[in-house]
Amino acid sequence: MSGGLIAGAADGVSETPLERRGLKLETGAPVTGAVAVGDAVATGFGDGTVRFFRREAPPLAIAAHRGAVLCLAADRDTGSVLTGGDDGRFLRLSPDGAIEELASFGTRWVDCVAAGPGWRACSSGRNAHVWRVGAAAATQLEHPSTVGGLGFDVKGRRLAVGHYGGVTVWKWHKRRWKPTRLNWKGSHGAVTFSPDGQFLVSSMQENALHGWRLRDNADMRMSGYPAKVKSFAWIGSAPFLATSGAETAVCWPFDGREGPMGRAPVTCGYGGQQLCTAVAGVIGVDGVFAGYQDGTVLAGMLIDDAGVDKVLKNAGAAEVTAIAVTRDGWLFVGDAVGAVLWVALGG
Amino acid sequence: MTQTTQIPVTVLTGFLGSGKTTLLNRILSEHHGRRYAVIVNEFGEEGIDNDLIVDADEEVFEMNNGCICCTVRGDLIRILGGLMKRADKFDAIIVETTGLADPAPVAQTFFVDADVAERTRLDAIVTVADAVHLADQLGQHHEAEEQIAFADIVLLNKIDLVNPDALGGVEARIRRINPYAKIVPTEQCAVPLDTLLGLNAFSLERVLAVEPDFLTSDHDHEHDDDVTSLSFTSDVPLDLDRFQSWFGQLLQERGPDILRSKGILDFEGETERYVFQGVHMLMDGAPMGPWPDDARRVSRLVFIGRNLESMGLEEGFAGCRAA
Repeated sequence: MSGGLIAGAADGVSETPLERRGLKLETGAPVTGAVAVGDAVATGFGDGTVRFFRREAPPLAIAAHRGAVLCLAADRDTGSVLTGGDDGRFLRLSPDGAIEELASFGTRWVDCVAAGPGWRACSSGRNAHVWRVGAAAATQLEHPSTVGGLGFDVKGRRLAVGHYGGVTVWKWHKRRWKPTRLNWKGSHGAVTFSPDGQFLVSSMQENALHGWRLRDNADMRMSGYPAKVKSFAWIGSAPFLATSGAETAVCWPFDGREGPMGRAPVTCGYGGQQLCTAVAGVIGVDGVFAGYQDGTVLAGMLIDDAGVDKVLKNAGAAEVTAIAVTRDGWLFVGDAVGAVLWVALGG
Repeated sequence: MTQTTQIPVTVLTGFLGSGKTTLLNRILSEHHGRRYAVIVNEFGEEGIDNDLIVDADEEVFEMNNGCICCTVRGDLIRILGGLMKRADKFDAIIVETTGLADPAPVAQTFFVDADVAERTRLDAIVTVADAVHLADQLGQHHEAEEQIAFADIVLLNKIDLVNPDALGGVEARIRRINPYAKIVPTEQCAVPLDTLLGLNAFSLERVLAVEPDFLTSDHDHEHDDDVTSLSFTSDVPLDLDRFQSWFGQLLQERGPDILRSKGILDFEGETERYVFQGVHMLMDGAPMGPWPDDARRVSRLVFIGRNLESMGLEEGFAGCRAA
C-alpha cells in the first residue's frame, strides 16, 4: 500500500471546517503513535520518522529509526519524547531535532517506553530497563514473559509492567526496585496508573481491560468490549479513563474511593457501525476526542449535553491510529495510511 | 475505506537437524524478487540485506476464554502487529518454530486474534522432515507426530541418504498420520519456493481442492496414542441441527485429541456445499457455492488426531443423516 497516493477526503466537499483550516499531510507511512509534549505533539511513523507538530512552525521531521517507530512516551522533565523501534534502539528526541541514543538492543525490538519524574524506561523482550535521568547505567528488571506495557505513576515512585499472567508493580524503596505481582489470567499489554495513584489498569489480549484498586489489590473487571482496547487516555475532571474498542468512547469514572467499581461507564461519541480506534483528551476538561475505523473523529462531552457529538473530521482512507491534544487546544489526528491533520481547536 | 490486504504467513516446523535452517537460508538468499520477513527462534546468524529477520521467544499463552486447549503464540501476535505498522510491506512472512514446538498454538493464533486475522492469513504449515531419522523421532516425541499431523506440506529431506524401501516406509508412515499433506521428497531442501509459499492451504477453497491420500490399511499402528486419521462419507443429506449438536459437543469434549478436522457437507434443503476446517476446538466454515452439476452430493468428514477410534465418530456422523 502506498499511502501517499491516497487522496482521502481531500475533495474539499466532505471536509469539516476544522479540516479545511488545518494542516494536512499525506506522509505515506502509517502513524504509529502520538503524544503531547508541552505545546507540541510528537508523532511516530511506520518508516521510522518522528515528527514534531508545533503551533507556529512547520512540522519537524526526524529520521529516527530504521524500521517502524513502535512506541512513544512524553519525557516531561525535558520536553522531549522517548521512542522505541524495531531497529532495537531506544531514543530521546528533542523538538529542536537532537537525537540521543539511550540504548540499543540489536535485533531485539524495543516494544515499550515510559517516562516518569526523574526516570526513563524501555522494554525489550522480557526485560524492562530503568534509568535514573542523567545516569548511564540502567537497572534491568526481569519478567516471566515479554513485556506488553510500561507505565510510571505520576510521582515516579512505581513502575507497572504488563506481561502474561498479570502486572508487576515495581516500587522504588531504599534505593532499589522491589516487585509486587498482581495476578490475573491472560495476557496484559499497556498499563496505566490513575492520576491519583490509587488504581492501575491494563489492556488485555482479550477484549477487556483489567483494573486493580491498589490499596487492597481488589480486581476490577472492565469488559464487554467488541474489540481489543488499543487506546486509552485520562481525561476530564473525575477523572475518567477514556477507552477505544467499542462503538463509542467508553469512559470509566475514577472519582471516589471505589473508582469505577460497581458503576457503569459514561459513553459518548457514537460511531454507528464504526468501532472507536483511538481516544484522547486532557485532564480537567470533560470532553473526549474519539477516532474511528473509517477515519472519522468526533468530539463528545462527558457531562451536561452528553449524546451531542461534534464531527471534527470526516471519514478518510483508513482507520484513525493516533490522536493527541495539547493543553492549549491543538489537535493531532493520524491514520493507518499516513494521513495527518494538525489544527487549532479554538474559534 | 481501503480494503486491507492480508499478508500470507507460512509456518515452518521440523525437528532439529531436519534442514529448516538450510531452507531458511535459501529463502533469504535466493534472488526471487520478493520481500520476506522471517521470524526466527533458533537462528543465530545475521540477517541478509533486503530481508527482515525478527528474533522471537516462543511464548505460548492460554486465552482467557474458557477454551481449554486454546493456546496462542503471544510473541507472534506482538510481532505481526509490529510488522503491520511498517511503511515498507512484505510479500510474505515466514515463522520458524523451534524443533520441539507444537504447531497448534501458531495455527490457533490466526483463528483467535482478531487483529492477526484481519491483517494476515495463515498460508500453510510446512514441515521439514529428515528421511533418515523421522521414524525414530515419531516414536520418541509426540511433537514430531503433531508437526506431521498439522502439515500441509511435508518436505521430506535427505532422501539421498536412505534406500528406496526405507523411503517408501517413511512416506507410508507420514500418510498414516496425515493423508492430506503433500509429500515433497528432496535433497538439501532443493525445491522451488513456490512449492512451499503462496499455497493458501488454510482457505476453505483448498479443502475442496485437496483429495486425501488414504492408505488402504491404516489400522496397524503401534501405540494407542499414535496420531492417525479417519475419514467418513455419507451420500444421504445431513440434518443441520443434528450435525451442529453432535459436532459441537465432539469438539468441546474431545478437542484436545482432534488435531485437525475438515469437511465438505451436504445439508438437507441447502443448495450450497458447506465447507469447514478446524484446529482442535476452533473451526472456520462457510457455504462455498453450489455442488458441481456432475458431482454426486457426498458429505465427507476427515479427522487427524489421537484416540479417534474411541470417539464413536462413525456412529455419531451416521446419526446426523436427515431422516
